[in-house]
Amino acid sequence: MLELKDIYGGYGKITILNGTSFKIPRASITTVIGPNGAGKSTVFKAIFGLLNIHSGQILLEGTDVTGRTPKQMIDAGVTYVPQGRNVVPQLSVYHNLELGGITARDQRKLRDRIEQVMDQFPMLREFRNRKAVELSGGQQKQLEVARALLLDPKLMLVDEPSIGLSPNLVKDVFRTLQDLRDQGVTILMVEQNAKSALAVSDYGLVLELGQARMHDEAAKLLADPRVGHLFLGGHIDEEETA
Amino acid sequence: MSEFFQLIVSGLSTGSIYALAAVGFTLLWQASQTINFAQGEFVMLPAFLVLALSVKLGFPLWLAMPLAIILAVLILGVLFKRLVVEPMIKHGTLPLVIATIALGVLLKEMVKEFYSPLGQPFPSLFPQDVVTIFGAVISIPDIANFVIAMGAIVALQLFLGGTRTGRSMQATAQNPDVAQILGVDIKRMVLYTFMINGALAAIASILITPIYLAKFSNGETLGLIAFIAAIVGGFNQIRGALVGGLLIGIIDNLSATYVSAEYRQALPLILLIVIILIRPQGLLGTSEGRTV
Ligand SMILES: Nc1ncnc2c1ncn2[C@@H]1O[C@H](COP(=O)(O)OP(=O)(O)O)[C@@H](O)[C@H]1O
Ligand SMILES: [Mg+2]
Repeated sequence: MLELKDIYGGYGKITILNGTSFKIPRASITTVIGPNGAGKSTVFKAIFGLLNIHSGQILLEGTDVTGRTPKQMIDAGVTYVPQGRNVVPQLSVYHNLELGGITARDQRKLRDRIEQVMDQFPMLREFRNRKAVELSGGQQKQLEVARALLLDPKLMLVDEPSIGLSPNLVKDVFRTLQDLRDQGVTILMVEQNAKSALAVSDYGLVLELGQARMHDEAAKLLADPRVGHLFLGGHIDEEETA
Repeated sequence: MSEFFQLIVSGLSTGSIYALAAVGFTLLWQASQTINFAQGEFVMLPAFLVLALSVKLGFPLWLAMPLAIILAVLILGVLFKRLVVEPMIKHGTLPLVIATIALGVLLKEMVKEFYSPLGQPFPSLFPQDVVTIFGAVISIPDIANFVIAMGAIVALQLFLGGTRTGRSMQATAQNPDVAQILGVDIKRMVLYTFMINGALAAIASILITPIYLAKFSNGETLGLIAFIAAIVGGFNQIRGALVGGLLIGIIDNLSATYVSAEYRQALPLILLIVIILIRPQGLLGTSEGRTV
């Protein structure tokens, strides 16, 4: 569904991605794990057209989408929930949702879609007229995830959705992602909370120094001692040579 | 008492015109971190566009004024963004600030050189009559200026809050990264902001110039007032800039009567200092910064 072929890229003159390659199948959840600064978020930016890509290719359902703009990626069926807080603080919850569909051609359909999404996240309906900045961190994250659903994406890029969320909300978000997967949406997610994320994922991918090091079924990665070691801050190489 | 009331009303009237300039100033800051030190000259210039079109080219006023507004939108909006802001902002805020200062000087000198160094009479849109309300004598132009200036600001607020384009502009100003990932055409939204500032400056120009004469140096105090009004209001809020503008208009008018003329010019600056000391975030400002 999505394939990265030997991507090199970074910020200005700094290269962060050093030949990142991987491939994920349709209607699956893949969790990217790896140490801080490994380039996980950078991979997402590369896919979504926010990064200077020096070389390599990104294929979406076989089509080369390398170097497209975010708007073009949205039109191709990709939405992105970045790390951190990403709401428009002074706009209402409803208008934040509406912005998620700003590129939609059919605005009437969009209004119906907003209603559906608010059915899915009743909190958003309750607070629809509140300014987004007045929501708690967890509520803002739900708003962001809901906003990314409005356009019925084929592929969702979700960067560390669980940060700042209570364990119950994390479960909710993961369940939402699983439901989406069951409806055919492909999900690529980054998670610090690797154990619980892998538990709900189909595949796991370990990224280190801008390269995909391990890529396997989530259950296998969970059981792999090298992955356990990685979570404690080690490197795969050391483990392999040890 | 009725004199005091009169002064408040005429203060609100000039204040609402100041507010137009201050609101535009704030919009530019929000949308593109442009501190426009040529804002005063932006308010000075459109009056001369009206004069050039009507006096020099013979257009009737009813046509010259809207044409001048359109020209202001193009020159002070589109061209300003393309020729000054875009090339300079790459080098940082300070080079851009210096460029706007230079632009202000350039506009001033150009008007002085090519139009006239002398004050020019400027037609008023309204009869110079007065009406008496509760014993206070209030001039028709004061009322009309207030209604038009406030009308423009209210219309702007309705546009920004009530239309999808307006909300996209707000999103671009408040969180450009988010606007971009949602597919908002942020470059276009910033351009709209510059165009709106050009229109606001032109309206302010047409309203305020009949009170004085059209003169190349009119922007000197106007720019300072717009700047102070924006800061007093909190710098990042339209409502703040509005309140700041009205406040300075009222203080200005009261001080013209009750304080010696020598100190009058200093009062907006004193207001600025007082506000910065007691409420650094401005009257309506919030201390929270951008969330990214
Ligand atoms: N906007 C940026 N400009 C320059 N360097 C950046 C930027 N964003 C991230 N980096 C650098 O890129 C590297 C990878 O960052 P990131 O992809 O955010 O890591 P991760 O998400 O895996 O923690 C880090 O060294 C970080 O400092
Ligand atoms: Mg990250």
